[in-house]
Parts: sequence; C-alpha cells; structure tokens
Amino acid sequence: MGKSGKGRITNNIRKLRFFQDEMTQQELAKRAGVTRQTIIAMEQARYSPSLELAFRIAHVFDVPLDEVFSYEPVDESNQSSNK
Amino acid sequence: MTYQEKNITVFLMNNILIFGYYLTNVVRMVQENSFNSLNIFSLWGAVIVLMIIITIISVIVTQIVFAIIHQIKTNEEPTFIEDERDKLIELRGTRNAYGVFSLGVFAAMLSLVLGQPSLVMFNLLIASSFASEIFGNISRLYFYRRGF
Repeated sequence: MGKSGKGRITNNIRKLRFFQDEMTQQELAKRAGVTRQTIIAMEQARYSPSLELAFRIAHVFDVPLDEVFSYEPVDESNQSSNK
Repeated sequence: MTYQEKNITVFLMNNILIFGYYLTNVVRMVQENSFNSLNIFSLWGAVIVLMIIITIISVIVTQIVFAIIHQIKTNEEPTFIEDERDKLIELRGTRNAYGVFSLGVFAAMLSLVLGQPSLVMFNLLIASSFASEIFGNISRLYFYRRGF
C-alpha cells in the first residue's frame, strides 16, 4: 500500500483501466504524461502520486478524484496496541 | 529492468571501476614508497579526466544500445521522459549521497585535527566522493525496486 504520513492511499487504477476497454498501462501513462513504470508502481501501491498527477489520472478516466484514489487514516491507538 | 535502472547500473559500474583503479594505484604507491603529493595529484588528475570521459561515453553508448534493443523488442520508439517519480528518486539518492559525503568531509577534517598529513585529508575527500556516488546510485536502485 502506498504510505503517506499516518494513512494509506489506495487506488482503483487497475479496475478503471478494465472498464475503459482494458486500456493499456502504456496508453494511460502516455495520456497522464508519466512513464509506464510509474503506472505499474501505483497499481502495485509502491508509489503515491502527487496531487497534480492524481488529478490528471482522474481526468483521463473522466471520473472524480475520489473514484480513483482513496485515503484510509490509520488508527494510531490500534497501531500502538498491536505493537 | 527499466531504462532508468539500466542507466544507474552503468553509472554504478563506472564508479566502482574508477574507484578500484584509484585504490589499486594508491596501494601500489604506498608499497613502492612513492606516496607523495606529486604522484598523488597526478593520479587525481588522471582519475577525474577518466571519470568525465567514461561517464560521457557510457551515457551515449547506454542510450544507443537501449534504444536499439527496445526498438527491436517492441517495435516502438523508445521514450526517455523523466516523470515526477524519477525526479523524486533522483532527489532521494542525491540526499543519501550527500549524507555519506558529509561524513567523509568530517572524517577528513578530523584527520587534520589528529595531526595526520594533508595528503591523508585529500585522499579521504576523494574516497568519500566515490563512496557517496556509489551509495547514492545503490539507494536509487533500491527505491526503483522497492518503491516508497
């Protein structure tokens, strides 16, 4: 999962590509102005994009930002009790 | 392996080879009792000239070879764009390299405080610059592989 401070950023890029006639990673990368490796890293939750790139990807799919990305705050009290 | 990872690996190999050449020469000078400022500064000159020439040649050769292989394998024009993730990884690698170099500078200054000759200080500086480059490239490779 992509880490960002005290929460997790998850995304639906793979699902959205599927619903866009199985858009290829290369096609999405080209339209969002990044490399295919960055799309792969995002799909595997190894990279959390900048806000600008997140908006560009949402624009490519023509959906609101929160349909592509979601933020899950991590409960610190749960985390510390699990340690 | 992506284009960026290949490029970093080539840089890493260059750094290790040139650092190896430098170290071998320093060890040889110490064994032959010719470790003096005249010899060491001419070695410095040779190493820096070598580093510039080899880096330029290897960047050109890597790009040409990568473009040819990519074209043959995918039948597409290769793209050499650098996006925000590449820039972030580059920055993190540079930060790590800077940390190692700072330690080297500290050790070099400490050698003067401890009364070592200035040649030791100069050698610590050049060794830490090589070590920082190598560490920076290894951390870039790590960030490409593991993510962050």
